[in-house]
Amino acid sequence: MNPLEIAVVSGKGGTGKTTVSSALAAALKGDCVLCDADVNVPDLWILLRPRILEREDFMGQEKAEMRRHLCEGCGRCAAACRFDAIWLEDGEVRLDRRRCEGCGACAVVCPTGAISLSPSIQGDVFRSETDLGPFWHARLHPGGENSGRLVQLLRDRARKTGRELGKRWVLVDGPPGVACPAASAITGCQLALAVTEPSRSGLHDLRRLGELASRLRVPMAVVLNRSDLSEEGAQAVRRACDEMGWPLLAEIPFDQEIARDLAMARIPSAPLAKAIQAIKEGMEDLLGEDAVEEGE
Amino acid sequence: MAIAVVSGKGGAGKTSFSASLVLSRRGVTAVDADVEEPNLALLLGNPPMATMNATIPTPQVVDDLCARCGTCSRTCRFGAVFSFGQAPPVFNSLCHGCGACVLACPRGALYQVDRPVGVIGRGVAGDAILVEGRLLVGNPNPVPVIHRAIEVGLAEGRDAVIDSPPGAACPMMAAVREADAVILVTEPTPFGRADAEVAAQVLVELGKPTALVVNRSGILEEDPPLGGILGTLPELARISFSRRVAEGYAVGVPPSAVNPSWAMAAESAWRWVMEVTG
Repeated sequence: MNPLEIAVVSGKGGTGKTTVSSALAAALKGDCVLCDADVNVPDLWILLRPRILEREDFMGQEKAEMRRHLCEGCGRCAAACRFDAIWLEDGEVRLDRRRCEGCGACAVVCPTGAISLSPSIQGDVFRSETDLGPFWHARLHPGGENSGRLVQLLRDRARKTGRELGKRWVLVDGPPGVACPAASAITGCQLALAVTEPSRSGLHDLRRLGELASRLRVPMAVVLNRSDLSEEGAQAVRRACDEMGWPLLAEIPFDQEIARDLAMARIPSAPLAKAIQAIKEGMEDLLGEDAVEEGE
Repeated sequence: MAIAVVSGKGGAGKTSFSASLVLSRRGVTAVDADVEEPNLALLLGNPPMATMNATIPTPQVVDDLCARCGTCSRTCRFGAVFSFGQAPPVFNSLCHGCGACVLACPRGALYQVDRPVGVIGRGVAGDAILVEGRLLVGNPNPVPVIHRAIEVGLAEGRDAVIDSPPGAACPMMAAVREADAVILVTEPTPFGRADAEVAAQVLVELGKPTALVVNRSGILEEDPPLGGILGTLPELARISFSRRVAEGYAVGVPPSAVNPSWAMAAESAWRWVMEVTG
């Protein structure tokens, strides 16, 4: 049976995704596989202290490569490139692979076959063991593409591990934003768990995230972090949840103890105990067997 | 002159610091290049904005010319072109607007039209001009919207502050491309440090003059030292955590209006930028 996949996401960065993911994983200990889908700046490893069992190369998008001896300097490639990755300098073609998007337009127009596309290693994929269960994570080389494909790869591996070991949950710690990596983290999940804060920007970004989740047909539930920083802001988030039909699973008041735990790379399980219990119950209500039966 | 404000980790204080930079100088252009989650306007009084589309070229097919040969879908490396059997090709939102399919079509049956992928807003916030890029939800690639917002912002011809997206991948690289100097905002937690290190590596490799601002100092009795590559960067300011700043931020009050240490940090950042850019 496929495990249930939960993507912890936020829209706005720094609202507490990794905090909630880690404490939730601790509460689901033994019954979940973890996956860090914030592949650009992954942080979950800091709290999980993984023991790496296996490493493999992540092959990224192919990129243009010149075979200089074939190039006649006609410059058609430079004219075709929409990403300023190829240009002519003193009659010679220059190529910046960092700007290259790997579209291959240059290779299409090159009359002498001087340009081909070649894959490049863009990062590492790790399978690890942690005290909380199996963990799939990755590290992209700095400045690389922010790859939705890598997110998909990690999720596929985590799902497979979950199936093989008979785990009930796969917990995906997602990236911020609403573009390709966020969409890849959410697509096909049973639930997007959005962590937000009671600020105007938190709510603004939550609404954009809700729009993305609804386009991807993934139900969304909300956790309101640092809920007591602004009563006005908290009310606005509660109203939005009500309006949009997003279940508000828990509110977490601001607590120095959480900040201190995180600063010392400890999972803040104790100060979050009540909230995590509420989130777990909410997940069961939304996705558990009873919920499925009711749905049928 | 253009300054980009980056962080690696989200929520470190990029937008707060960008707003402080904008408010501590007269007549700058504020560019919100965090187009997935544009929030700078919320700290600059949310001014009314005139808008225009940010577009990318997207292919269209001339049915009568198309031989259904499938070259377009074989050429596309992004999975954005589907062609089956006797139907003309169909294009989806994974399109990067590269034009490879158009160039490859042996019958010249494809051409390109502009498709909106974002909205560029322009408003006046006090004596500053605000230019905001906003990705339309459902489009996977923020980079063209980032480039367009910065292009429009810099065309104002004033000093510019560019509020950048989090992370250290292509969106951040796009945001710092035109910047003369970069302010890296971080926090003294293992997360802030790890993410800022990744961003710093990219910035140093790009040859961008980069300086640090440490936000939320004092979570522990003593901030842990910033080693490695971060230790080699000039540190312009250390700003203590303040609940009042967080409460103000929540309702759109810029931190420099509540707490003088933000305004002072912004002043030292401007001074440093003047020094490194001559």
